[in-house]
This record gives sequence, C-alpha cells and structure tokens, in this order.
Amino acid sequence: MENPGEGFSQFDISKEEKDKLVAEVIRYILFKTHQSSGCPIKREELSQLVTKNYRHRLLPAYIINQAKEKLSSTFGYELRELQRSRPSSANQSRLSQQSGIDAKSYVIISQLPAEVYKKYVEDVNTSHMTGFTFVVVSIVQLAGGKIAEDNLWHHLKRMGLHESDGNHPVLGNVKQALEMLVQQRYLQKDKVSSPEGSTLFYELAERALEGTVSGRIKQYITQIVKKDSATVDIS
Amino acid sequence: MAVLSWKHHTLIQSLLERGPLTEKEFHSIFTAITGQNSGTHQGKFNDYLLKINRELSYVQLDLRACRDPYDGEVYYGVVNNVSDEQSKFGTKYSVPQIAFFKAIVEAIAQDVTAEGCICNMDVLNIRLENQVLNSSGSQSQDGSLGIPAAFRNFTMSQKERTLDQLVKDKWLCYTEDDNIGVGVRSVLDLRGWFNNAGVPSCEVCNEAGLKAKLCPSEGCTVRIHQYCLKKIFSQKGVIVCPSCDTQWEYQPPKAEPVELEDEETEPMQSQPSSRPAQSQSSLRSKRKRQRVSQNDDSNTQADTKRVTRSSAHLR
Repeated sequence: MENPGEGFSQFDISKEEKDKLVAEVIRYILFKTHQSSGCPIKREELSQLVTKNYRHRLLPAYIINQAKEKLSSTFGYELRELQRSRPSSANQSRLSQQSGIDAKSYVIISQLPAEVYKKYVEDVNTSHMTGFTFVVVSIVQLAGGKIAEDNLWHHLKRMGLHESDGNHPVLGNVKQALEMLVQQRYLQKDKVSSPEGSTLFYELAERALEGTVSGRIKQYITQIVKKDSATVDIS
Repeated sequence: MAVLSWKHHTLIQSLLERGPLTEKEFHSIFTAITGQNSGTHQGKFNDYLLKINRELSYVQLDLRACRDPYDGEVYYGVVNNVSDEQSKFGTKYSVPQIAFFKAIVEAIAQDVTAEGCICNMDVLNIRLENQVLNSSGSQSQDGSLGIPAAFRNFTMSQKERTLDQLVKDKWLCYTEDDNIGVGVRSVLDLRGWFNNAGVPSCEVCNEAGLKAKLCPSEGCTVRIHQYCLKKIFSQKGVIVCPSCDTQWEYQPPKAEPVELEDEETEPMQSQPSSRPAQSQSSLRSKRKRQRVSQNDDSNTQADTKRVTRSSAHLR
C-alpha cells in the first residue's frame, strides 16, 4: 500500500485514534494467542474491538488490514486467515444470525525461513505438541480426511499413546492433548448417528485443510513412506 | 515507514517464543544471523535494538535487559508496558494462581534483610484469603463473604503445582538453599510494581534492591547489589557507603575460573504486567546460582548499553 497512513481519513478518525485501534488489535491477537496456546481468533472478536467505539461500517476491515501489515513488518508474523469450512453444530445457530463473512478466524504464523525458525526461534519445550499434531493430522489425512474415534486410537496405540493414559512422559494426558488439537482447529469432532448407535468422528478442520499445511504434510508423508502419496492407504 | 528485516524479526520472535534469554544466548543469535560480533560491533547491536524498540513502541511493548538478582547475569526479554484490556488476556494462570504469585512476590519484596527470597514452607503456608482482604481493602466483618471459593479451596497440591509452573515460566526461581526467589520475568516486568511497593533501590544502579547487601552501620538504609559492589570494588578497591561514609567489608566471591565481567548494564524502565511467552524449561531440581561462565573469544567485555528511553508510564 502506497500511503497506508492516509486511508483512515475516510473514516472520520484521527491518525492517533487509528493507531490506537491498530495497536489494540495487535495486542489482542498477541495476548490471546499466548493464552490459548495458538487457538484461532475469530474475526468477530477483532471487529468488536473496533465497533465497540466506532460506528463506521468499513472501519473494522480497514483496521484489521492495517494490523495485518504491522504484524508482518514489525514482528514478521503473518496473520493467516482460516475459512471455517463447516461450523460445528454448536455454533450453527449463532453464526446464522451474523453475516456469513464472519466465519473467518485468524492465526499468526512466523514468516521466517524454516531453518532460521528452527535454529533460533523454536521453543524446544513445545516441539512435542508439534510432533503429535503432525502425526495425528497425517493419520486423519491418510484415512481420507475423516476417521472414527476408535480407529484413530487404534493407530495411536501402535505408537504407545493410549486413550486412558493420563501420565505419558511427554504428552501428559493424551486425551487432553488430542482435545487441544480440536481447540486449535486442526481437527473437529462430528457425531454421526447410525442404526448401531452414534459414533464420534474426527475430521480435518480449517487449520489442517489450509493450503500450505496440507501440502507440506503430504510432502512429509511421501518422504516417510517413499511412495506416491495417492496410493498409500492405511489398513 | 521503517521496516524491520527478517533479522530483527528473528530476534523479536526468539524472545517471544522462548521467553527471556541470557545475554550470551541473545548475542549468539545476533552474531549468527548478522555475522557480526555484538562485542566488537556494539554499535550495530544497539542499533538493532533501537530500531526494534521504535517499532515495538507502537504496540506498547519493549525489548529490554535486566539482571538476575542472584547471579548478576544479564537477560533480555520483550516486556509489556501498559496494563490494559488486551494484556489481561495475556496469561494462562487463573485468578487464585495469580493471587498466590502476588503473595509470594510481596513477601519477598517486604523482606527487610534483603535476602530476596522466602523459604519453601512459608510459600506453601500462604493464605490467599489475606490477598483478598489486602487488595480490595474489604471492610466486611465476616471475612468469608468477600473471599471467592477458589481462594479458600486452594489446596496445598495446587500451590505446589502453581509454584512449579511459575518457576518453569521464570516468574519465580529456586535459589541455592532451596528457597523461592523472584525469577527473571518478574525482574523484567515488575520493576514499576517493586518501586511502588517501596522496595529500596540499589544505590549504584537504581534498580530494586531485592537481593542486596545492606550497609553495616545501624540505621543506614543504603543497599547495593552484590554485582554492583563487585564493580565498585574492582574500580576503587574499597567500598564506602555513599550515605554514611562507613567502609563496607567486602569479600570478592570465591575465585571462579574465568569471570564474565559485565560492565554496567542499564536495564530500561519498567513496567508492570507482562506478556508472558513460552518458557524455557527449568527442572525442579536446585539450580546452582554460581555460574562459572566460559570465556569465549568475544563477549567478555560485552556492554549492554541503554537502548531506548521511553517515557515512563506510571501504573
């Protein structure tokens, strides 16, 4: 953007007010991300920070864009937008009351090259979660994007991860670790009713479906399996 | 609009993701990504920090340094300057846990012997009810009314777990004799709070003298950090109280193979509340506070100069 500083004049707010709003949005994103350990932030929450005090319809979008730029230029974080593919049933009624565009959510992702990130930035104390995330998402992906709960645990058991294990030396409570993935929107849960009763399915959610993530996972799986990813299936 | 490069971003993100880093670690990141030794290219390092802080000030954050009160080691961290609605989200700790932490820090701050720590047993015996009464200035006759159930039911094991987590996150630390002291994050973030709480400052560096040596003469309130004493001693060979002129007894610490002789660090201004990021692990076992630092080719005379001066926000 050539003159980002001037766009705010159309909204009838001063530069200071604009700066203050952008700063608030950025701070909200940073603090919330820390508190929730990386769960996506709904666009609606960010808009509210603006609409709380300002009525101009287009202002929230403008402020969020400015915040996006600042996050990138100051911190090297990309504010990545996730499209909520299928809202879980719990949210369905709420969402229908708002305009459809607010189904977006955001996560911040480092824009540093992978080697730099790994060498200087990565917190080794959380790598176990990253590894776990990768493994679980890969399993679900190989199962076609959706897998029954029992089936998932069957595979995890083969790696020594048990549903009932509350004291795994690395992951602690394994079931909770899996729940974390749902909260972080890598997975979503879906109860499917059938004549035999209802089964819980885990499906890939927006964070795992997002282009770069799913592409890279396929790449890694291919490397591990050393076959064409399309022909691999799990028994 | 000044734009920071990926090198600046790496420095910022490393602190945000990993929590406070020692000077050595931070400098080594700088050296690795810029190819320039921060010891010999002091100016370049400071330039980087200045530039970073100029951008960070937009969001009321600050990249600053501080000294660990127990071993004088310098740490860098990104600190939040303003306590507002957004920063209230910036913690994973629950309300009773925060009250517990506050009680511990208060107890340490109020220690008149300036030992800068309290013993484990005292910590576990802390009663959160007192926190409520103190902070809200509650005048309710029936004490139990004002106190949330969570405070009353804060069990011993919850205290232990919270304590462990606080140490892991560097808000507190275990000192040599298995006592509890303030951690690096607290030193970075709570400077303003310590000042407001009336903790006397060190005469030399003007930082809170939580763990410091007191003037031997009775009635003199001067206190000076051990590492500040060392510096004066090495410059003047003798320590004289700036206020009452008494000569202080000074014993250099036992000889360590090679000492990292840090020049005076000017930690920046303070602010309360923090932006806690992920932490580095510290095991529950005792940490030896005497650090025998290796001498490496470069950083021995590393000066960490003042990088920025932002106007102090009063809490």
